Amino acid sequence: MTIAAGIGYALIALGPSLSLFISAISKKPFLILTVLSSTLLWLISLIVLSALWRVFLPLNSTTWWPYGLLLFTSIAFQEGLRLLFWKVYKRLEDLLDAFADKVSKPRLFLTDKMQISLAGGLGHGVAHAVFFCLSLLTPAFGPATYFVDRCSQIPFFLVSAIIALAFVMIHTFSMVIAFNGYAEGNKVDQIFVPSVHFAAGLVTLVNFASGGCIVSIPLLYFIAILTLLHCGKMVWRRLAENRSTQGTQE
Amino acid sequence: FSPTQKFPQAEFSPYQNTNYEWNPIGSGIMWNAYNFPVFLLSESSTLTLQEAATKNEKSKKAYTADVAEFDLVMQTTKAGTHDSESCLKERTCLPLGGYSVWSSLPPINFSSPDQSKPVILTVASMDSASFFRDKSLGADSPISGLISLLAAVDALSHVDGLDDLTKQLVFIVFTGEAWGYLGSRRFLHELDLQSDAVSGLNKSSIEMVIEIGSIGKGLNQGVNEFYAHTAGATSATNDTLDALKRAQDSLKSEHIISSTANASNPGIPPSSLMAFLRKNSLTSGVVLEDFNSVFSNKFYHSHLDDMSNINSSAIVAAASLVARTLYILASDNKNLSSSALTAINVNVSLVQALMGCLLDCDPGLSCELVKNYISPTNTCPSHYVGVIQDEPSSTPYLGYVDDVSRFLWNFLADRTSVPRENSSSTCAKGCRNKGEVCVRAETDGKGVCVISTTRYVPAYSTRLKFDSGDWIVLPPNSSDPMGMVDPVWTESNWNAIGLRVYEVQNATYDRLVLLGGIALTVLAYLAIVFTQAFITKALKRD
Repeated sequence: MTIAAGIGYALIALGPSLSLFISAISKKPFLILTVLSSTLLWLISLIVLSALWRVFLPLNSTTWWPYGLLLFTSIAFQEGLRLLFWKVYKRLEDLLDAFADKVSKPRLFLTDKMQISLAGGLGHGVAHAVFFCLSLLTPAFGPATYFVDRCSQIPFFLVSAIIALAFVMIHTFSMVIAFNGYAEGNKVDQIFVPSVHFAAGLVTLVNFASGGCIVSIPLLYFIAILTLLHCGKMVWRRLAENRSTQGTQE
Repeated sequence: FSPTQKFPQAEFSPYQNTNYEWNPIGSGIMWNAYNFPVFLLSESSTLTLQEAATKNEKSKKAYTADVAEFDLVMQTTKAGTHDSESCLKERTCLPLGGYSVWSSLPPINFSSPDQSKPVILTVASMDSASFFRDKSLGADSPISGLISLLAAVDALSHVDGLDDLTKQLVFIVFTGEAWGYLGSRRFLHELDLQSDAVSGLNKSSIEMVIEIGSIGKGLNQGVNEFYAHTAGATSATNDTLDALKRAQDSLKSEHIISSTANASNPGIPPSSLMAFLRKNSLTSGVVLEDFNSVFSNKFYHSHLDDMSNINSSAIVAAASLVARTLYILASDNKNLSSSALTAINVNVSLVQALMGCLLDCDPGLSCELVKNYISPTNTCPSHYVGVIQDEPSSTPYLGYVDDVSRFLWNFLADRTSVPRENSSSTCAKGCRNKGEVCVRAETDGKGVCVISTTRYVPAYSTRLKFDSGDWIVLPPNSSDPMGMVDPVWTESNWNAIGLRVYEVQNATYDRLVLLGGIALTVLAYLAIVFTQAFITKALKRD
C-alpha cells in the first residue's frame, strides 16, 4: 500500500494504544517497564507455541477444526501464562509494599495497582497488534493494494488493522479484569477473561467463510466493547468500595 | 503476419525493379517508429492480463483499478540521442553485428603456395528478425537453409578423396543479413583488404556462389520442390544448373525436383547473393529457395516462423541435393562415378537434432549436439543478430561471440577437420602448428587440436569503424554503394525490462484511511484524558 495508507493502517491498529501510552503510562517509569516486560512475555509465549506446533504446520486444511484446535491450545497456554504473570506480579507487589514500609512511604494505592494491570494488558495488546498487523504492513509498501477473495469489500490491510484494534482493546482491559479477579478472588471475573479470549479467537475463525469478515468484525467489536464496559463497571465498583472503606478508616 | 516490407531490404537489390513484391503479405509495421513499448506476452501472461482487464470492466468498486506498469528504460531515449551517429558517440548504444563463420572442406593447405584451386562458395545465413527482439526464430527463413548447409557439410565430410577434387569447397554462414546484409558486406570488404579473417581465400578465386535460402517449406504433397534463382547467365551458372539436374537424377527415389526459377522474376530474391552482385555484377551465383516468384513463407521475419512452419524432409532433401551438386561441381566431371555420388547421404537424425537444438526451447541449446562443442549461455535459441561488443577481430574473445556462432565454428571445424596423427591433450592456450584450431575448447575435455581452416569473420556495417573504444560512423562513400543506403542499425543500451500488473487504490481512499487513523488516535486520546479526569475528580469527591 502507499505510505499514506500504510501510516493510516498503523494508526488504526496502534493509535489508541499510543494515546494510552502517552497519557497514562509514559509519565511513570515503572509502568513503562511493565509494558515492556508484558510485551516480551507475550512474544515468548508465541515462540513457545510455535515451537510446539511446528511439527504440525503448515495446516493444509480446508476444514476449520485444526485451526480451532490451534487457537484453543494457544489461548489456553496464554491464559496460563497470564496466571503466572499475576503470581510474579503479586510477589513483586509484596516486595514493593515491604520496601515502602521500610522507607515509611505509602503503599501501592488501588489506582496504582490498576494502572499496573492496565500497562500489562497494553503490553499484550501492542504485541498482538505489532505481530499480527504491523508485520504485514512493513513489507507491503508499494503502489498496489490487496484484497482477499473471502473479504473482497475491504482491503486486506484494513481488515487486519481493524481486527488488531479490537484485540488491543480486549487484551488491555482483560488484564485489568483478570488481576482484579485474582486479587479479590472473584470467580466471575476469573472465568470472564479466558472466556472472552476464547470467544474472540473463535470468532476470527468465521473469517474463513466467504464474506465472513462482515459478520466477524462486528462480533469482535461487540466482545471488545463488552470487555471495556465490564472493566469500567468493575473499576467503578472497586473505586467506590475503596472510597467507602477509606472513608470509614479515616 | 509478416511485419516486414513487401520487398525486404529492397535498397540493396542489384536490379532496378524494387516495386516487385517478393513478400506480398508484408505489412511493414516492423520498420516504423513507435513512441510506446510493445510487449509480447506468453500464454499465461496473456490470460492474467485478460483477467485484469475484465475485472476492471466488471468492477463495482469505483476506488480500485488494475493497472500495468512497465519498467523499460532505454539509454538512448534517456540520453536524448535519437540516431545511430549521436548514440554511438555518446556510447549509449552499440552497433548491430556478430561473427560469421567460414570453413573450408578439405582444409586449405598453406604449405604449398602454388595451390589455389578455384573456390565454390556455399552460403547460408544464421540470423533472422522480427517485431520482437527475443522471438526471432526464423525457422524457414533462414535457419532451414543453415541446417541444410550443416547437413550437406556432414554428408560431404565422409567422402573419400576430397583432396583430389579440382575445386575447393568453402562454406560460410553469415550473420546480420536481416539488418542490411552486414555479414556478407563485411566479408566482401575483408576480402578486399585481404585481412586475417579471410586468409586462405582470394577474391578472384571464387568461381561460383551457391546460396541456400529458405528451403523448409519445399514439401508439397509428398514432393520436395526447390527453385534455383540464378544471377548471371555465365558458363559457371549453367554448370551449376546442370549439376543440380544430375544430382536430382541421382536422388530419383526421394521425390526431389529442382527447377529454374521463373524468368519473369526481376532477379534473385532477397538474399546474401545480392551483396555479392552489388559488389561485383559479374558474380556467378545461384540461390536455392522453396518458392518460385513469391515467398512461400507466410511468416517471413515474424515471431511465428517457428518449427511448425517447416518440414524436416524438405531440409533433408535440400541438403542431399546441395551436397551432391557440390560434389559434382567440385570434381568437375573428372572420374565421376555414380557409386561415389550415391554414397553421399544426409544423416536424417542429424537434421532432426539440429532442428531441436536451433528451433525449440526443449532441448534447445542444451541439447547433446550443441553441448558436445560449447557451453551455451542460453537454452532457448534466438536468432537475432545481437550487438557487437568490443573490437571486432578474427580471433574475438569468445565471451562476446554468441552461442550459435560458436557452435557453428566448432561444428564446421570438427566436420571439415583432418585429425592429427598424435592427438595430444588440451589446447586451452591455442594450437602450436599453423593450420590447426582448437575444437571443443569450452567443454570439460578442454579441447583438441585438429587441422582445419575455420575462421570467424566479424559482421558489422561497412560504414562503421572501431577506433580505440569508440564506434565511428564513416561518411557515405561512393565506392561502397551498399554502404550509402545502409541505415547503420544500432541497439540502445538497456538494463532490466519488465511489466507488472497490480491493483491500486484510489488516492482519496488512501487519504481517508490516513485521516481515519489520525482521528481514531486523537479521539482515543481525548477519551482517555476525559476518563482520567473523571476518575481523579471522582476520587477527590469525598
